[in-house]
Amino acid sequence: MRIECQELVRNDRIHGSLLHDPEIFADEMERIFVQNWVFVGHESEIKNDGDWVRRQLGNESVIMVRAESGEVNVLANRCSHRGTALCWEHNGNDSFFQCTYHNWRFGLDGSLRAVPFPDGYSKPKEELGLDRAGQVATYRGFVFANIDGSAGQIDQHLGPAGYELIDRLCEMSPSGKIDLSKGWVGHRVQSNWKLWPESDSDGYHVGFVHASMSASTDTYYDDVAVGGDAVKSSRAVDYGRGHLELDWRPSYKKELSWLGITRERVKEYCTALAERVGTERADQMLWDGPPHAFLFPNLFLGETVIAIVEPVAPGEMIHRHTAVQFDGVDDAFNERLLRQTEAAVGPASFITSDDAITAERIQAGISGTNTSWSSTGRGWIDLSRGLHREKVSDDGARSSDASDETTNRGFWYRYLDVMSGKDRH
Amino acid sequence: MISAELRTEVENFLYREARFADEFSLEEWEALLTDDFHYWVPAGRLEGDPSKQLAYLNDNRARVATRIRQLQTGKRLSQLPNSPMRRVISNIEIEPRNDEGVSVVANFVIYELAAQSTGELRVWPGQAQYRLERIAGNLRMSAKWIELVTAHAGQRNLTFLI
Repeated sequence: MRIECQELVRNDRIHGSLLHDPEIFADEMERIFVQNWVFVGHESEIKNDGDWVRRQLGNESVIMVRAESGEVNVLANRCSHRGTALCWEHNGNDSFFQCTYHNWRFGLDGSLRAVPFPDGYSKPKEELGLDRAGQVATYRGFVFANIDGSAGQIDQHLGPAGYELIDRLCEMSPSGKIDLSKGWVGHRVQSNWKLWPESDSDGYHVGFVHASMSASTDTYYDDVAVGGDAVKSSRAVDYGRGHLELDWRPSYKKELSWLGITRERVKEYCTALAERVGTERADQMLWDGPPHAFLFPNLFLGETVIAIVEPVAPGEMIHRHTAVQFDGVDDAFNERLLRQTEAAVGPASFITSDDAITAERIQAGISGTNTSWSSTGRGWIDLSRGLHREKVSDDGARSSDASDETTNRGFWYRYLDVMSGKDRH
Repeated sequence: MISAELRTEVENFLYREARFADEFSLEEWEALLTDDFHYWVPAGRLEGDPSKQLAYLNDNRARVATRIRQLQTGKRLSQLPNSPMRRVISNIEIEPRNDEGVSVVANFVIYELAAQSTGELRVWPGQAQYRLERIAGNLRMSAKWIELVTAHAGQRNLTFLI
């Protein structure tokens, strides 16, 4: 029997069973990760023809590869013959994919090129290519795919806000281009995947979960997210369609806070940026920094960090991150971004390791809840903070104080739409 | 060939360093470090230039001081309480250097209990490469590089001293 999500996702709260029920998880992998748009990777990871990376999209292992034509393909990592995985390394460069079971050989576009002893087949080769993502779209290097091809257009998925958030990040680079080819680092967490969109876009917890960071080092988060004044000036924004932002821009107390450095030390970068966008705009951008945003369902834009939320099982996930590198700056600048990423994100970091523990504690807390309790008062998670004071703008975006749960609700509103099959096509 | 005496001295140093780490004797552990200490846990093999890669951990001396300070705040959620843990070091190979220091490689296995959250027993196998210097007669550590067997696979929280 299909569980009715409407019962479990309310306007002001969600039910704990959403975070551990195996049937719900299975349903999510299909409805969210197969039937809808997901982030796959970045074109800078596969610069040359034949470059490929392996990625996990829900239950489906895929290969993102650049074909000889330059086109980016997203192929199932599964031989069309007997289902053997074709790639097991994380990345590589090949002119074809060959299965190790019976040596079937596939082109970079997934087409079947050759099989041993072909006279045993009467089927045409065209019928035996690899499964491909039904839709693939790229924007400023960001690659999105919809595995079964049944979702609406990418424009509808990203909406103006999705594009604008990606723009705001890429525009920070003097060339307007970013590079995400330094590799992805995995943080394995014993929690449901949906706790990370929540944590990545939650402005309420920073002063508490991350108190040890504030107490031991200088961090811009103190200015934008810690204390009553900061969380009043910063904004939690739900742009709709599950795209969320913690907008720090009104709270930064100096330019380049997000980089933790003064202009004198990165003069060349500032000059190069001004040359492309003009001095006035560059000055504003250097103050505002890149966005802290989440794009439904699996992409985190965390200032100069990018992360993918990767579900593994109802109580197991990977938060996989990489460092943004700007195209057109000196090595020292990009190395600074690498060190900043190591400090902020990952298993040994000063920040998200404490988010991981929090997610694991939530998982422990909700693991006994049951979907059948939804009609009772038991097992609910409250997300009502700020409901009475959030504002809706003309374009439908909701915003409120950064400590309000506007972003958390925004994720769940979109979740409910996708899970209940609303707005298909 | 190194002397039995030097071998014993180096082994004693490594065992002490391991015990301080296991027991969160943070000040004692920090006192073993030189001013230019480098601490590195790559997300792959121990190869290439650390400054050009994205690692799990890549601390210069200032950042390792921050790491220790954060643990000492008493508010570091991921180490509240500290992980009960013990490590075993073996296969110790020592190479003397011209400058009186030594380079050491050793295998290790750490058993860590995630007492802060799930209670899972976590096993961390790998190789450690140490650079030890002789300063005013005593050995100090100027580098500790860790290659985890699981380096490519992603990690659970790594907020203790590995």
